[in-house]
Amino acid sequence: MTQFLEGFLQALFAGLLIGAIYGLMCVGLGLIFGVMRVINFAHGDFMMLGMYAAFYCFTALGIQSLFGNTAGPFVAILMAGPILALFGYLVHRALISRVSGTRTSLLEGDGHYAQLILTLGIALILQNGGLIVFGSVLASIRTPLSSSAWELGPFFDISIFVNKARGIDAVVSLTTMTLLTLLITRSRLGKSMRAAADNPVAATYMGIDVDRAHRFAFALGTGVTAIAGGLLATNYPFQPFVGLEYVIVMYAGVVLGGMGSITGAFWGGMTIGLVQQMSTIVLPTQLQNAAIFVVFLLIIFFRPQGFFGRMVERT
Amino acid sequence: MMPSFRSLAPVIAFAVVYAAVSLLVTNSYYQLVMTLVLVWAVFGLSWNLLSGYTGLISFGHAAFFGIGAYTTALGQIYFDLSPWLLIPIAAMLGGLAGLLVGFPTFRLQGHYFALAMLAYPLAILYVFEWLGFQEVTLPIKRDNPLAYMQFSDGRAYTLLALAMLIGTILLSQWIERSRFGMALLAIKQNEAAAEAAGINTLVWKLRAITLSGAIAGAIGAFYAIVLLVVTPQSVFGMLVSAQALTVAMFGGVGTVWGPVIGSVILIPLAETLNAEAGTRFPGIQGVIFGLAIICVILVAPEGLFWKVRDLVRKRRAIASPEPLSAPQISDRPREPATVLSALPNAPAKVGIPQDIALEVRGLSRSFGGLRAVQDVSFRLRRNSILGIIGPNGAGKTTLFNLMNGFLRPDAGEVLIDGHNTVGRKPHELCEAGIGRTFQIMRPFQRMSISDNVVVGAYVHARTATEAGKLASEAIARVGLSAIAHRMAGELTTKELRLMELARALAGQPRILLLDETLAGLGHGEADEVVAVIQQLAKQDVTIAIIEHTMQAMVRLVDSFLVLDHGAVLVEGEPETITRDTRVIEAYLGKKWAAHAQH
Amino acid sequence: MLSIEGLSAGYSAIPVLNGVSIKVEAGQFVAIVGPNGAGKTTLFKTISGIVKPSAGAITFEGKDLLAVGASQRAHLGIAHVPEGRQVFPSLTVMENLEIGAMTEAGRRDWKQNIERIFEWLPVLAERRAQFAGTMSGGQQQMLAVGRGLASSPKLLMLDEPSMGLSPAIADFIFERLIEIRRQSDLTILLVEQRVAEALESADHGYVLEAGRVVLEGNNQTLRADDRVRRAYLGM
Repeated sequence: MTQFLEGFLQALFAGLLIGAIYGLMCVGLGLIFGVMRVINFAHGDFMMLGMYAAFYCFTALGIQSLFGNTAGPFVAILMAGPILALFGYLVHRALISRVSGTRTSLLEGDGHYAQLILTLGIALILQNGGLIVFGSVLASIRTPLSSSAWELGPFFDISIFVNKARGIDAVVSLTTMTLLTLLITRSRLGKSMRAAADNPVAATYMGIDVDRAHRFAFALGTGVTAIAGGLLATNYPFQPFVGLEYVIVMYAGVVLGGMGSITGAFWGGMTIGLVQQMSTIVLPTQLQNAAIFVVFLLIIFFRPQGFFGRMVERT
Repeated sequence: MMPSFRSLAPVIAFAVVYAAVSLLVTNSYYQLVMTLVLVWAVFGLSWNLLSGYTGLISFGHAAFFGIGAYTTALGQIYFDLSPWLLIPIAAMLGGLAGLLVGFPTFRLQGHYFALAMLAYPLAILYVFEWLGFQEVTLPIKRDNPLAYMQFSDGRAYTLLALAMLIGTILLSQWIERSRFGMALLAIKQNEAAAEAAGINTLVWKLRAITLSGAIAGAIGAFYAIVLLVVTPQSVFGMLVSAQALTVAMFGGVGTVWGPVIGSVILIPLAETLNAEAGTRFPGIQGVIFGLAIICVILVAPEGLFWKVRDLVRKRRAIASPEPLSAPQISDRPREPATVLSALPNAPAKVGIPQDIALEVRGLSRSFGGLRAVQDVSFRLRRNSILGIIGPNGAGKTTLFNLMNGFLRPDAGEVLIDGHNTVGRKPHELCEAGIGRTFQIMRPFQRMSISDNVVVGAYVHARTATEAGKLASEAIARVGLSAIAHRMAGELTTKELRLMELARALAGQPRILLLDETLAGLGHGEADEVVAVIQQLAKQDVTIAIIEHTMQAMVRLVDSFLVLDHGAVLVEGEPETITRDTRVIEAYLGKKWAAHAQH
Repeated sequence: MLSIEGLSAGYSAIPVLNGVSIKVEAGQFVAIVGPNGAGKTTLFKTISGIVKPSAGAITFEGKDLLAVGASQRAHLGIAHVPEGRQVFPSLTVMENLEIGAMTEAGRRDWKQNIERIFEWLPVLAERRAQFAGTMSGGQQQMLAVGRGLASSPKLLMLDEPSMGLSPAIADFIFERLIEIRRQSDLTILLVEQRVAEALESADHGYVLEAGRVVLEGNNQTLRADDRVRRAYLGM
């Protein structure tokens, strides 16, 4: 009995830790969808670029030598955020803005397919271009923290082991999430973005440049997901096609949380993390991802509006 | 339906040329490329069959392709069946998969549909990996190669693939010309309008996805036979779905030649680059396809075929301009009169038994807390014209949607010939004789008026000839016969409205619901359309029309039904209604109505 | 202050406005009435830059307004209170007002403005932390007006403020508007469904029908004119 309970609690904790990272990952996508209503197929691949950016900052740019193996990775990961935010900004400027925003708000429905297909093209280029540039060799960001754990307990013969790297990842993730929430709720830029998301026409009447708000949302969303990617990279090795593995996780989380709600996306990601880890109790590991797909399809069919979003009417 | 020589000729020409070229190729790698071009062309055509014609973009066609591939691979390994048998089986399984996928997924809207379609092949991919089918190799049959479709000469595969391509092209062309194609295009253009025109949209979409899945399954099976190795990633992966999509969109969406053109250009490009630079730049294929998609969507969203055709048409139009349409337009108002004289004598209005064509009783509908339609009752007398008016938000379009089957009322009945039609779907009501036009028109820009109108004729016509006849009659009734061949993209607003009307008429309705047919027309133009509508009422059609432009309405209608906040305010003839205090109040405000009495 | 000449505009193939000319002098209260489909909302959308005109000119304080981008026009001093309120539903009342105040003038005069707005529209002060999407229609209308005022505008444009509201609440809002106008030197351009109320308070009125100005004048001249009723009802 205690063994089952211990296994259960271990899976629960693992789910919470990984869920915190998934949550941040989903928030990035949720930000883009919430503000701009753009489906970004390439989001997983931006994350992949974030992983590589963190990797190269760590190894090639000397962060490793400057900050060492314990703090270094996290510094590199936090650097990857702004780098990818800039990249996202440029991609939006050059490509995405042509099929989204105020220009296409008058085109009913047609804008959507163009976005899907454009971002699909970007995804293909990033994945395969990544293969060319980075090679197919698995990379990872080594930190000694990932091979040691804190022990919680023992309480009543039960001990939970919290992997140090994952523990710190979760902390970084939650901190980033908090800062992001503050930015969105308190700052002028954040309020402009929320206004543009709620009602782009009224926002324009108020003097807000909606296209600019979109660009920032896209950049911010990309940067945030890049950080989440970097955090994942301390635990799992990655290669240029890693984005594909997480695209469904991201979408499942965003849809579960309610498309349009940023905090909802976080909880959605958290839930997916829990589902994934806890499904190992009953399913073989290889079917973990299939479990996520099933959850995703169930949500789309039975509750497409999600669970966690604030039900506020949209004008 | 016999295909014309014009449409067969390019197919035969292409086949002959391609076969000749392939026979000349001796290098086994290039023979493979020649085969693959055709494989992707067929796959692209299968994608086109669903997504190109209906506009429902599928990102998951790899699901059907992969099912076909594995059917063949596993069928040969475990059951020792020949591919000659397995390909048809794969087609059946692919079609079945299409049906199973379509049924629940078509209920989803917009991006949810796209995401679900994306999820299917990726989910199946994980399952196959878990099942242990990381890499499945087809056994080589040395003793009886032909029975197992294993040719030593790569060109044999090319010829076989060519046969499959020709078959698929002919099938697609047949569909384009038939009511199947008409239905799909109508769905792409405006699904609600298609339903109202009598098309059972769900059934046709399911047919399309089943056929699409079958073809994808068959070609997936062939792909496995050609490559002899199947991995989950190579047949279920995202690049597979993306290639089908890219090839079709690049070449031209919604046309038979699009996927062929796209495949002929992109596949050799990608394969050659892969062969030459593949070791130094692995993944160059994906980059090419990515670039192709991006270029297409930004520069020529409908594909190469349409862009080129439009350019050619423009050049021809500049070279030999058509005679000005203006003189013809002024002739048009006389046309309905001449047509009228050709019809059997329609009885004059006075003396018609006042029977009721349609009755609405106590119809109500709320959305959340908002009561859009409140206990509305009225009668449509046969051959009369009723104008439904009221200030903004009065519930007029909601009323039409309730009468037409798009919305279910919370209470009340809609009676046609005494039968309550509540609960029946729009296409059923169209069969029962209710026609409808919509406020926002989205005609097929590249098709002629005749082709746009014939869609509406299929609800009663059993053959294409009959449909064509009904369409011509409808076009004549609205006075557009002189320009019936002209493309919709070149028409004026008035001509477009008349075309919408003709499409509704082609279904031989007894009752017509017109939603803001006069919107966007200048004074003179509105008068012309009003004349057409008046003629229709004389020809045994009962009409209810929603409009804002009162100037035209007061001369057109026999009576008005005034709605305010979803409830009937008053009913009566134009002279009385326009001076009724309650109506003035609803439109201009209480205060104005009060002092205007003086 | 605002001068519109020969304006024609519409959506894709459908023309809505056809050669409209309207003048609003500084400090004036101008009302535009007319039936649905006449183009009143399209007119406002064109002034605000959401719709691009096919012909004509708009000058604001002597400058060519059409040369200015849509999101810049609020900064010039044009406030638009849109048809149907169009508040930001997932933002609080206070945040809605803050968004309104994001113009230069708005930020400069924020302290005084917010005091006066709360004075004129006390319900906004009471509910400042409430999400705008949960308020009633009348409250949302007041918020929309407050939001417009927060930008410290020179010209306040209101598109059918009484639409969808009960007569009592509509009257109240109208009253507030007149009060606001008395206490400030705001120029007001109002589109209204209720003709009498609109013309009574206005200095000058225009009747728009089928995209054209068919009548203009002040309350005296238009009140007795049956052509106003005919513009709405056709005969």
